[in-house]
Amino acid sequence: MFEVNELILKKAKELGFGDVVVLAHEQNRRQVRFANNEITVAKNWHTQKVELFVEYQKRLASTTLTALDENTIEKTLQMLMKSVKNLAAKEDYYGIAEGPFKYKDIPETFDEAIVKLDKPNDYVEVAINAALEEGAKRVAGVLYTEHNKLYLTTNNGVEAFDEGTGIEISVRAFIGDEESGHGTNSVRILKEFDPESAGRKAGEIAKLATNPIQGEAGTFEVVFDPLAFANLLSYMSFMTSAFAVEAGFSFLVGKLGQKVANENVTIKDIGNMPNAYGTRKFDDEGVPTRETTIIENGELKTYLLNTSFARKYKTETTANAGLLMPEAWNIYLEPGDYSKDEIFGEVKHGIYITNVWYTRFQNYVTGDFSTIPRDGAFLIENGEIVKPIRNIRVSDNFQHILESIKALGKDLYHIHWWEVNTPVFTPYVLVKDVGITKATK
Amino acid sequence: MHELVEFAIEKAQEMGASYAEARFEEKNGTEIVMKNGNPEGLGILADRGIGIRVLVEGGMGFASTNVLTKESVSEAVKKAVKLAKAAAKIRNKPIQFSEETFHQVSYEVKMKKDFRDISAEEKMNYLKLIEEKVKETGVTTPMRFLRYGDFMWHKIFMNNEGAFVASFIPRVSVTYNLVVFEEGQMEQAPFVQRAFSGGLELIEKDQPWEWAAKDAKALQKLIKEGQKPPEGKVDVVISPEVAGIAVHESVGHPYELDRIMGREAAQAGESFVKPEMLGERIGSELVTVIEDPTVPNSWGFYLYDDEGVKARPRYLIKNGIINEFLMNREYAAYLGMKSNASARAINYNREPIVRMANTYLAPGDHSFEELIEDVKLGVYMVSFNEWNIDDRRFQQRYIGREAYLIENGEIKHPVRKPILEITTKGLWSSVDAVGKEIEFYPGTCGKGEPGQGVPVWMGGAPARLREVVLRR
Repeated sequence: MFEVNELILKKAKELGFGDVVVLAHEQNRRQVRFANNEITVAKNWHTQKVELFVEYQKRLASTTLTALDENTIEKTLQMLMKSVKNLAAKEDYYGIAEGPFKYKDIPETFDEAIVKLDKPNDYVEVAINAALEEGAKRVAGVLYTEHNKLYLTTNNGVEAFDEGTGIEISVRAFIGDEESGHGTNSVRILKEFDPESAGRKAGEIAKLATNPIQGEAGTFEVVFDPLAFANLLSYMSFMTSAFAVEAGFSFLVGKLGQKVANENVTIKDIGNMPNAYGTRKFDDEGVPTRETTIIENGELKTYLLNTSFARKYKTETTANAGLLMPEAWNIYLEPGDYSKDEIFGEVKHGIYITNVWYTRFQNYVTGDFSTIPRDGAFLIENGEIVKPIRNIRVSDNFQHILESIKALGKDLYHIHWWEVNTPVFTPYVLVKDVGITKATK
Repeated sequence: MHELVEFAIEKAQEMGASYAEARFEEKNGTEIVMKNGNPEGLGILADRGIGIRVLVEGGMGFASTNVLTKESVSEAVKKAVKLAKAAAKIRNKPIQFSEETFHQVSYEVKMKKDFRDISAEEKMNYLKLIEEKVKETGVTTPMRFLRYGDFMWHKIFMNNEGAFVASFIPRVSVTYNLVVFEEGQMEQAPFVQRAFSGGLELIEKDQPWEWAAKDAKALQKLIKEGQKPPEGKVDVVISPEVAGIAVHESVGHPYELDRIMGREAAQAGESFVKPEMLGERIGSELVTVIEDPTVPNSWGFYLYDDEGVKARPRYLIKNGIINEFLMNREYAAYLGMKSNASARAINYNREPIVRMANTYLAPGDHSFEELIEDVKLGVYMVSFNEWNIDDRRFQQRYIGREAYLIENGEIKHPVRKPILEITTKGLWSSVDAVGKEIEFYPGTCGKGEPGQGVPVWMGGAPARLREVVLRR
């Protein structure tokens, strides 16, 4: 693919473009979906595409090419030039990174065994059976395998290649209509894959959730399962992007250097983490990915940046390009030193929430939001789960949640599924004074 | 491209598929983003490919490719068939499709002002106009995110049962996020969208810049004059916009038969509605909810679904009674029924699944004044920001953005963030009057895995909810 990249770069320069970024993808992705203990559909995607970003005197344009012949490339570039020439300039554009860069291989991001895997359905059966063994009646979910190749070429001397694989499963188990549990497992190399644990966790929670009673509204101490807290952190990941901050989609607006979380909270973005679903060697302008501390002991240290935002703010890029919108790779909440039992042991009267969905904001800038527990939710009395509850809602404020974190578990869980777009590493989290509401009619 | 689509179907049959469909899709369009007055950039959308779906021995397989050669399509067909065969081994019952009548048809939505003839610069003027009109209001809006989008969506669908549907549907939209900051307080109108199927004449007639200016003024007024809403049992009049989100979330979604039957259980969830509930009462007699893909120029418009079935209006609730589910061929067959053309896919690389199109609360016989005039104490909820609903679609919440106190039949000062948190049955049973005039609001409905955000309209008539619990 580098020949195509080079050709595009050459033609773009000939036409007079300044910055040019060519990012080619070759993807093979498989999916097996299942519900009611049977496979509902199995899918395969083969995609070959080139993402193209060009700049002409601070005028920016981007497109995706799927046909890669010389004629299409030429026509597309001419059309882009014609379109951007008369546009107004983006006055706060400050360019892309100067390469070349050296890239290190990141362990546990590629595994030939996933490329060659012929019978992914076996793993589906393992997960379904594990959930059924725990007492589930109906099991649904999805399994993916992926194999991606990335080829990046820029006008600033970058030529970079990365190849990655992944396999993951998400399993939801049901007993009745309202008794369910969920488990996930996402890894980059096959020998780490554990579909059974996902099925077992889903089944265990479903069983524990049998015959739930209506939950009560009020303010509670809440233990968030990693699955539930990952949802909140995944939403937060977007809010850490400098783009989201400027566009009014973040509660972190104007809070650099301020305390935005409890001092026990340190949140990072780690782009080069081994065996993590979002890991890549380089960002979209070729800067080697790295570890960036976003919140350190409660204090907001940085937004996620690309080179242009970094120059605007007179600092260094955090290697999170996105050329228009910096984005997180893997969000990482530093673990604490509590065992799971110790976390529950801290709670006299509270709630254990195993999963949430439909997180929505009343106001992104203030951070007022609500989210809905799904799957088992439980009342905790004196450190023990005493009964399952249903039909409640977490209604609170993002910063308040971060400020109210009372204890963090010592074990980290890697969460990535339908509701958690940005991969997240999080432990069990105990938050005090969480607002809980319910429907009254 | 017809030949490649036809080739895929023939190939699939040769390889043992009992059912085969192929869908070519091509999207060409423009996206322009402006942030705080700065043009962020121009995005050119150019995407095309073919998706193939097959049934083999009762298992379903789907494969897609964007490499449009016979070799690549053949490879995709091979994969779809292989996947379907392997899937068939882990099934309790073979998948069957309902029997349908198919057509050979080609249709298009005409544009009076064709966006393909207009320069990016001119399109950016729509966003500049929003900047200007918001500025003219004098309201302080430190953060403004604006987006213009257009695309021509071309599809060719064929199956081995004789369907041929080709369509050209242009779509145009303008989206804005405004953050208003006055007197040390921040209010927000996030992701407000105006969107249509058709040409730029629809944007120009609709004037999103006027909507944005109105939103900015309403938020300023809310900051300056807003008071706490009443609490406890009061009457709530919901606007077409709020009625729209409510019918979408608590009627449209739970009536999707694939969801009812558990196919989406691990993603968007299941439903409190069961097949045997057809004919049961779920709301007052005044509640009729219609789902209609054929509304001209609607954001959710189509005439044939992505299984080739001809679309028609679906009456989900008729006079308070559960009347009809949204069905594709697979799930209609489970109930021994026919599909009502609810199968939609967002692109060539997605399978068609049961979706909404344009969902609305059917009009009643009250003028707006009549809805308000005998409310002693209540709230008129004009728009909302935060909303959500549980994954069985039974308990939901809507928080007002623009909302006003109603006192002794008159609309008074704005109220801040009235919270309506209510069950589906509670909501629709509380309706005691419905307005005459309907309006529609666009949205992107999320469902499926990988996610398929489809364009939909939501709306209908305003309605009065008697004695519902409102919180602050």
